[in-house]
Amino acid sequence: MPVGRAMKIHFDWRLSRVVDDQDNIVDEIVWDGPMSPSGLAKRLLKIQQGRKLPEVITLAERFPDAEIDPLGSLSDPNWPKAEESDELFRRATLTLAKMGVAESSGDMDRRLDMLVSATLEARSSWTTSESRCIEWVGFFITEADLDSQRGEIPSAISSSQSIVEASEKLGVNPPKHLPSDSEWSSMVSHALAVTSSSDILEQLEVSIREMATLHVPSLSALLGPISAAKLVSLARGRERLARMPSGSLQVLGAHAAMAAHRRGAPPPKHGSVLFSMPQVNRSPRWVRGKIARYLAGKASIAVRVDHFDGETWGKSQIDEINGEIEAIKAKFPKPPKR
Amino acid sequence: MANKAKSIVWGVRREGRTLWTRNAVKGISVRGERRKRDGRIEWRRWDPTKSKVAAALLRTSAEPSSLLPDPGSTCLYLGASSGGTVSHIHDFVCGADNHHCGQVVAVEISPRMVRDLVTLSDRRVGLVPVLGDARKPAQVAAFIRGKANWIHQDLSIADQAETFVKMATTFLSPGGIGLLSLKAASERSSEGDDNSRFQKAEQILRNSELVLLERIDLTGLEEQHVVFSCASSL
Repeated sequence: MPVGRAMKIHFDWRLSRVVDDQDNIVDEIVWDGPMSPSGLAKRLLKIQQGRKLPEVITLAERFPDAEIDPLGSLSDPNWPKAEESDELFRRATLTLAKMGVAESSGDMDRRLDMLVSATLEARSSWTTSESRCIEWVGFFITEADLDSQRGEIPSAISSSQSIVEASEKLGVNPPKHLPSDSEWSSMVSHALAVTSSSDILEQLEVSIREMATLHVPSLSALLGPISAAKLVSLARGRERLARMPSGSLQVLGAHAAMAAHRRGAPPPKHGSVLFSMPQVNRSPRWVRGKIARYLAGKASIAVRVDHFDGETWGKSQIDEINGEIEAIKAKFPKPPKR
Repeated sequence: MANKAKSIVWGVRREGRTLWTRNAVKGISVRGERRKRDGRIEWRRWDPTKSKVAAALLRTSAEPSSLLPDPGSTCLYLGASSGGTVSHIHDFVCGADNHHCGQVVAVEISPRMVRDLVTLSDRRVGLVPVLGDARKPAQVAAFIRGKANWIHQDLSIADQAETFVKMATTFLSPGGIGLLSLKAASERSSEGDDNSRFQKAEQILRNSELVLLERIDLTGLEEQHVVFSCASSL
């Protein structure tokens, strides 16, 4: 077998070739597999992922000194054109792009992000509708207690035939002025929307809990699945969260304050997801910063454990961390002197 | 068509302050742009506020045709998004049923955008949608039929200029044209203003093997953006 110097293997989906330094063809293999779009799509995917085609492997075995060109045939000026297979190639690229798009729904990060974003939007519209519903009902049923009975009001309206019946359900006197029939119907529909969006929110949170516990089990154990999911979504993916310094993780969610901080304002305090953890915001204010920093460090480790296939944290690790937080609080029982 | 209409290259016209490409798929607008008939030809408006290539054509002080590929060229478009600009490039590089035998490879990393790109490519022969990372030559090489005569990079990532130098030196054929759309807001540095970021990118291009031809300021059409036009050395 001739051992030429600086031999190279050039290839595309159709043809693989060994050429020497004078651009002479030393050996070649033409692909003779089935000429179907899906078959070709798989070959293109293989090349795109940097895996070797079978013909390239064969040629590399025949010429162990030959160097495989990672860019296929791009640098080969004598590469033959294959216009007869243009249509096949075209259909294969369309198939491959569609396969890639279909594949993307397997991405847990994006699925979690859909749930988290849907929850955020649903919650903001729920808050608006719910407070309008309460104001509206309170406007007529003046004796209802809008604080203690707040939770019952939407369902009391949506399940009643008339406003008088609704006031009975709430245990108070009927209103002095009654809404018109169509006005009442509007109130009922509005109240129905409020109760059904409460159900939607509940369902969404159930799914987030389920998915976050699977996707980021250690982080979910540490911060709770909802906050864990929010962090993954804010970081735009588990991998990005895992590669993030804990200082960045600590302020995730406080974009506006962080941007202001970069321009000279004091650092963010309340906006971040981590701050909303009871371990932080229920602690005395003079230890909050210390706890937040400590917890961010631990959360950062937890997500790395989850992403890089470590051993998932159990109750003992979490208890240890919570114990440490108590120790921090115990160490600083009094506010610092000014 | 009015008398003042000027042809830039085959299939691209300038009429006063508007640009038009010869629609390769008659009767269909890609993103709601105006169409008009001129005999048997249909022209499609190329909006310079939505396409940085169109904006560069209007703002360049060089001959506009020097920024565009010829019909029948091999083109590489990095960061194709949903394919607005790509469709206009395809209009004149490939034409209806690709009678110019051109190839436009459109690379995009977001599956959401590739979905639209696939729909577009379905009707446009010669347009190749690629779901992949436009920063990695090996992810693109399998789809392009040879070295490219024309490259446009429009990515919102940090290190746009370095990526462009890497991709253009790999893929551009001798005498080929490379356009880099630079978005100031995508660069990582938190210090300095937009202009200093453009300067930095310009320096990177000057220190590369590429020949920097012009820095085209798009102010008024696309804020915080410039387009660098380059040629491959040789």
